Amino acid sequence: MANKNVSVWSSIPFWRRSAAWVTGFASILLVWLTFDSVGQITMGTDADIQKGVTKRVPAPTVINYKIGYKMSAKRGHEVPTIGEKELFFGKEWSPKEAAALLHLGKLTSQSKNCMDCHTLLGNGAYYAPDLTKAWIDPAWQNGGPLQGMTGKNTEEEAMAEFLQHPSQYSTHARMMPNLGITADEAKGLVAFLKHMSSIDTNGFPRNFSKTVETFKAGGSHAH
Amino acid sequence: MLFESFTDVVPSFFGWLNQGPMTLTIFLHTLIILPMFWIYHSEKKKLNK
Repeated sequence: MANKNVSVWSSIPFWRRSAAWVTGFASILLVWLTFDSVGQITMGTDADIQKGVTKRVPAPTVINYKIGYKMSAKRGHEVPTIGEKELFFGKEWSPKEAAALLHLGKLTSQSKNCMDCHTLLGNGAYYAPDLTKAWIDPAWQNGGPLQGMTGKNTEEEAMAEFLQHPSQYSTHARMMPNLGITADEAKGLVAFLKHMSSIDTNGFPRNFSKTVETFKAGGSHAH
Repeated sequence: MLFESFTDVVPSFFGWLNQGPMTLTIFLHTLIILPMFWIYHSEKKKLNK
């Protein structure tokens, strides 16, 4: 200890070591976080659904099941539920068929630029209604006005009918334009929306059930 | 609350870490700031020599 008045703050090696430590640690943390996120968002399998294994993103075959939305007291927000089996467009879809249908729906949603007006899983616009939980919107379910206006008996057929001729139906303050969606593409889109509603989004969009209650009490729209 | 019960769907280390606002802060301070005290003192020792 020859010189007690030296300042570490003006020492270049000190700053070099500090910067190396912080940068190195942050890099490792980011790589670790990336792999952690990949694990969180990896799609489940058909077997997971059958065994009741909860996945954030369930397998495409989730379209063969009833999708619900329940308040979880433990987590403090609503959580999607996978219920009993139900036919989708009058049939049960195999894992391969369901995956192909969902893929067609995803490609259609991209080519028709749904996100120009709608929000999907937090991405997009709020010019038109948020579609993240559109499938569990009671307006499209049995007895709901949106299903009623199409004259169809099931939710999926009603949605598919609307998507093919949106400009014939007034569903929102701003009418959806006709995008030339074919019958097959419409089926794919409905499957895409049904699957999306089964994704655990940590309660996004917020207060969905509240808007559903308002709707049931005589309000105009679930969102 | 400083620590809250783990409620995530898929259990993960980061999920646990980010349940409350303090847990992440304490973790990052432990791993980044504490070693910097050591770096500071070891540099001071070197300079004093």
